[in-house]
Order: sequence, then C-alpha cells, then structure tokens
Amino acid sequence: MIEGFLLGLSTGTSCLAFCAPILLPYFVAEAHSHRRNLGELGLFLLGRLAGYLIFAAAAWTVGWLLLQPSAGREILFGAARLVLALLLIAYGFGLFHLKCAAEGTAPRWRRLGQRLGMPLPLWLGLLTGLSLCPPFLLALTETAQAPSLGHSLLFFLAFFLGTSLFLLPLPLAGVVRRIDVLRPVARLTAGVIGVYYLYLGLVMITEGGIHS
Amino acid sequence: MSDTSTAGSRSANRPPVWKSLLKVLPFILLTAFMLLGGGASSDPRQLVPLILTFVLISVLFFRMVHTGRTDRYRAIFFITMAFCFVLTFIANLIEVRGSMALTHEDMATGQTPFCHMVIPMTIIPAAFTRTIIFPGSILDGFANIATMFALWIGVTLALGRGFCSWGCFFGGLEDGFSRLRRKPLLRKIGHHWTYLPYAVLGAMVLLSAWTLSPSYCEWLCPFKAVTEFEAVTSTRVLIQTIMFGSLFVGLVVALPILTRRRTQCGLFCPMGAFQSFSNKINAFDIRIDREKCTDCGQCIRVCPTFSLDARSVADGKTRLSCTKCGKCVDACPRGAISFHVKGTPVGHKPARARMLFLYPAFLFLVVFGTGMIQGALYRIVLLVTTGSLIQ
Repeated sequence: MIEGFLLGLSTGTSCLAFCAPILLPYFVAEAHSHRRNLGELGLFLLGRLAGYLIFAAAAWTVGWLLLQPSAGREILFGAARLVLALLLIAYGFGLFHLKCAAEGTAPRWRRLGQRLGMPLPLWLGLLTGLSLCPPFLLALTETAQAPSLGHSLLFFLAFFLGTSLFLLPLPLAGVVRRIDVLRPVARLTAGVIGVYYLYLGLVMITEGGIHS
Repeated sequence: MSDTSTAGSRSANRPPVWKSLLKVLPFILLTAFMLLGGGASSDPRQLVPLILTFVLISVLFFRMVHTGRTDRYRAIFFITMAFCFVLTFIANLIEVRGSMALTHEDMATGQTPFCHMVIPMTIIPAAFTRTIIFPGSILDGFANIATMFALWIGVTLALGRGFCSWGCFFGGLEDGFSRLRRKPLLRKIGHHWTYLPYAVLGAMVLLSAWTLSPSYCEWLCPFKAVTEFEAVTSTRVLIQTIMFGSLFVGLVVALPILTRRRTQCGLFCPMGAFQSFSNKINAFDIRIDREKCTDCGQCIRVCPTFSLDARSVADGKTRLSCTKCGKCVDACPRGAISFHVKGTPVGHKPARARMLFLYPAFLFLVVFGTGMIQGALYRIVLLVTTGSLIQ
C-alpha cells in the first residue's frame, strides 16, 4: 500500500500541473465560497476515486484471467513495465504532450454528464480518473500483478491518496499561480521515475528469463 | 567597456597593500591556529605539506581581497580541493580496505563515510522510522553522520547554496573540467533542463522513502566513480555501476568541457536543488544594479550553473539556484553585479558586503579543504620519497 501511496506522490505533480488548469477555471468561474469549493473538490475527488477503482478492478481481472497461469508471466509483466516506463520517459523528457482526459473530451462528455444528471465536479473527477496518462498506466502494471482484487483496490486507493494531496490546495486557486514553473518539474519527475521503472522492468525480464 | 579596461579600472581601484594585509591578517592567524592546533609534526614529510597548504591559503585569500576578484582565486582553491580530495580519499581507502569497492560487510558494520549528497534522501525516512538510511556511523570514525550534518547546517545558514561553490568537495571536479577549453563547443541548452535537479530531487526523495535505502547513492551519484562503490557481485550492481560511471563521464567530465558550465551541479544534482531553497533564508545574495546594467548578457554566458537568464537579469537578481561563486561579479564589464546583504539597498557599499560574505565563505572552504590539500600533498611527498602513494 505504501508503494502505491509513494507512486502517487511521485506522479501527483503531473496531476496538478496538467489537470489543475482544467479544474481551476471551474472553481474561479463559479466563484463560490472556500467552504463550497471544498465540497465541490470533494465531489471531484470522489469521481476520480471511482474512476481509479474501476480501473483497478479491470486491470486485476485482466491480469488474473489472462496472465496468471502463463509460464512467462514475469517476462510479460516485465515487458509491459518496460514499454510503459519508456512511454513515461518519453513523456517526461518532452517527446510528446498529453492533455488531461477531461480537457480533450470535455464538450461532448460534459453533455453526457448533464444528461445523466451527475454534478459537474463528480463527472469531471470520473473523467480524470479514467485517463490513460503514463503514470496511471504504470500504476496499472502494479495492480495487474496483485495477489487479490482487494490488494489491487488498496494499491489504487493509496495511489489516489498520494496524487490527491497535490489537488487539495486547488480551491484556494492562488496557490498554484506558478504553474508554469511546476510543469517542467512535474514532467521531468515523471521521466526520472520512468528511468527507475525501466530498471525494474529489465530486472524482471532478466529474472523471469532465468527462472523459466 | 572591454574586459581590458575593466581589468584596468579594477587595478586602479585596488586598495593599498597594507590595507589588504590588515583585512586578511585575522583570517591568516585563524588558519594558522587551525593548522597548528594539534602541534606541528617534526616529520618533514608532514611539515612540508602543512607549510605549503598554509602558504596557498594565505596567498589566495590575500589576492582575493587585494585584487577584488572572487571567482579567479576561489576556483583555484576549490578545484585544488576537489582533486586533492579524490587523491586522499582513494589512497586512504586502499590503505585501509585494499580496494575502492565496498563489501556487504563494510556496509553492515557502518563503515561507509557519510556524504552530504545523501542528506535530502534521509529526511523523510528519519522522520518516520527514526533511522538514518545510510550504512555509516552516527558518531564514530572519519566523516561520521553527526559531524557531516553539523557542518552542513552551519554552511547552509551561513552561505545558503553558496555551499555548492565554497564547500562541496565534488563541485571542484567539474569546475576544473569546465575551464579546460577557452570557448564552449555546446552553447545552447534548453531552459527546461535547469528544472531537472528538482525532478531528480523529488524522485530520489520519494524512492528513498519507498525503498528505505539511499537511492541516489545506489543509482545515480556520479562521484562514486572517484570515491567508493559497491563491489560488482550481481546484475543489479553491474547496472548501477554502468549508470554512475556513465553519469560521471557525461556530466562531470565531457559536458563541462563542451559547455564550460558545471553541468552536474546545474542540471542534475538533487543536493544542489535542495540547497537552492536555503538561498531564500540566507542573508547574502547576488544583485544586479539595473541602472548600471547594459544587458550585454556577459553574466548569463559565464554563469556556470545556469542561474542567470534574461528574465532574472531584468529583475536585477539571480535565479534561486545561484551558488554565489562570484564569476558573474568578476565578469561584468560595468561592475553592475555585486554581493549583497539582504535588506540593504542594491549597490550600497558592495565592497563591504563582499567582505562580509567572503569571511565565512572562505572559512568554510578552508575548513573543508585544508585537510584534503594537506593529505594529498603528503601522499605526493610519500610517492616521491618511497615510490608509493600508500604506507
């Protein structure tokens, strides 16, 4: 669980740097009191948590059903980790850009949210929770190997808590004025973490190869 | 105004020799006291290094005060200290252990000398587990954890990130390499790379807390190549060795030569990033007098740690990462850049502000460097007299 929390902490700056610009205008435009803003943030985080847990359950099921019996399981997971680590490095060192999931799809999906009668912050939270950004994908490789569904859900709960710490100051919008400085640091941190996962992937493949 | 005319005006503004001597006298006496505190050895092999070290320190500080040039004389001491540290440290290791490689037994018995680079990684685990995640000794032996922490706190309070140019015994290596070419071959380095040290800091602090081991030391510290490293006994250690070896060659040797900048300090070092925040609380900074500045960009070109850019110059100050090496102060053709005591008007009695900074800064340089230089000279005398660096 601590692993999930720390992975969340290490990639949470990315959430703040890339998702905050989508959420900030909402808080600023609605211009509620801090107390009400906190309530809306709570709804947003709840939506995000729901998205995370849906993913955790799906990832674990896929890992359990398709990969658990496989003889080369470690090699497969190692390879997946390697590819995702490379993706994270490419993203971290600026080889491609990503938008927050709630940003690119906002107009169309917002209408759907309205039709479903969901409060907007909850809906935005669910959309960001279902995003496929590289740090999130990396967390998925961890949960796919979890020994039980409970472990998988706990890992993502901890991951969610780690990333959420960065989003808590959002209602006090002024706190993130220097987001232009935070962005390169957040991206590069993701890149450095990617290098670490690259190593883990390599070790996993090597050890998997030795065992099989 | 050309560099020649700047040098000309500097020599015209030099104080009389007696005045400079008077300014450095307390420092020279203090140095003599520090060097002779334990009494001078009668063994000429130890006496000669002691005298040479004392002369070097005294001459450099006198020249620094008398000529008004900071970086030129700081760099001589700083670079000498770093190369002497490597020579002394390796010779000591071979003398004590017979090798630069650390064994599991050495680590288990806490025989690893503590290094300041690991400080940021130890804080979170220390807060949560009440243990220092480093295989060193708290109080015993050479470079123990308590002494290194105390020295670091002292330097941080006195100099802020000035530590990186006046105390860090690794920084001098790349400072030395960065001065080998007269002109850089690589000029353009993307501005966003200057944020990498903060990213490495964040990632390493979290990884260390996660794994409860000093991740930076294990994986990335380039200076293991010239100090000590884990004996290669597994694939994991082999990968680590390749990584830190490549980082040393790339960041400490090759890139400084190509760019004339301290690339490890400016683009990678997590300790430097951590230390940058202490510039906020430190009493000294470097300021630019906007009335004198002509925006010629000379300071931006010479800054070894990428701590000046057009925006910061327009604001009249350096970026947070400034190591107060004084290179921009020496290079400014208009004398617009100066050491500054926070809370005083910019350009107000800059010579006095500079002296107020130089006393503690040079003192720390001496505290860190004296033993290293003396030790290295002793090894050289040993080599000349016995044919071997080790006893």
